[in-house]
Amino acid sequence: MEEAMREMSLEELGSVCSNLAKACSKQMRMEEADLFGRLASYYGQKRERREGQSFKALSALIEEDLSQGYAKATGTAQAEGDRGAQRSLVWGEKTTKLLKSLLARYEKQGTSLLEKTNVFVCDICGFVYVGEQPPEICPVCKVPSFKILAVQKEAI
Amino acid sequence: MHAVRNIRLCTKDCLCLFVCPTGATDTETGQIDASKCLDGCRLCVDACPSHAIFLIPKNYTPQQKKSEKTKQALKELAKSKAEQERLALDIAKETTDPTERQLARALARSLRILSEDLHRESGFMLPQDEATRAFLQEQLQKNSNSDDFPKEAVLRLLQLL
Repeated sequence: MEEAMREMSLEELGSVCSNLAKACSKQMRMEEADLFGRLASYYGQKRERREGQSFKALSALIEEDLSQGYAKATGTAQAEGDRGAQRSLVWGEKTTKLLKSLLARYEKQGTSLLEKTNVFVCDICGFVYVGEQPPEICPVCKVPSFKILAVQKEAI
Repeated sequence: MHAVRNIRLCTKDCLCLFVCPTGATDTETGQIDASKCLDGCRLCVDACPSHAIFLIPKNYTPQQKKSEKTKQALKELAKSKAEQERLALDIAKETTDPTERQLARALARSLRILSEDLHRESGFMLPQDEATRAFLQEQLQKNSNSDDFPKEAVLRLLQLL
């Protein structure tokens, strides 16, 4: 496990910490949540920006997860009878399929996809919704809509 | 264990004010004053007609054992999500189109939530768990020569958890 930690990218380190920050705030441990939050933003700031990235490249990586990653991990989790891992993989695969179709729609329609409408992301499972209002219940994880949050369009 | 109020469920029936022996439930913030709340008392929890009050445990039992194989599989997938998040953030940073940036930021947020959940199931469910301590100690060690690593935040976490 130590080896795996050593290989973690800045985004992975940030994700471990932002996850733990959420867990702390669920326990009403606000000081700890804030400290994990600081650690997560430290890793975020350390990130080196790369130029010339494309949605196409992102689609290709997402496709890899769908064609290989999920099947492999789900096989392992099922063989080990890990219910929690399977839960995460089922939700994650559903959301990942949505991301794939969203990117396919964007490739066809371009920015008109998001004109005069809103984008929401479920804070629990990552479900993405394009439309006027988010659904009352998240179709992936079943959380009520107040946890499905809008992503604002900002002027550049 | 002290009581916490879920404001979203609270219908202001005030039974919690009537039963609380220390006045901890009567605050201007809508939250229960943890410093006055009696450990495990739960009078307000049982009195509340809208089930808006619950107890937050102080201690948590160790988590279920997870197989190394499953943890590894989840971490691999989390690594992939993290790389995708980075890509989406790069796009968001570089683009000059507000709509494209909005989409990239939505994707980045979703991908972060996906990797968080995979990390959670790979052994980082409970902040008080041994895996979290090991992670923090490892990070301290690895960044011992860094001048901007928030070392005091990590030390404080190790103290609090």
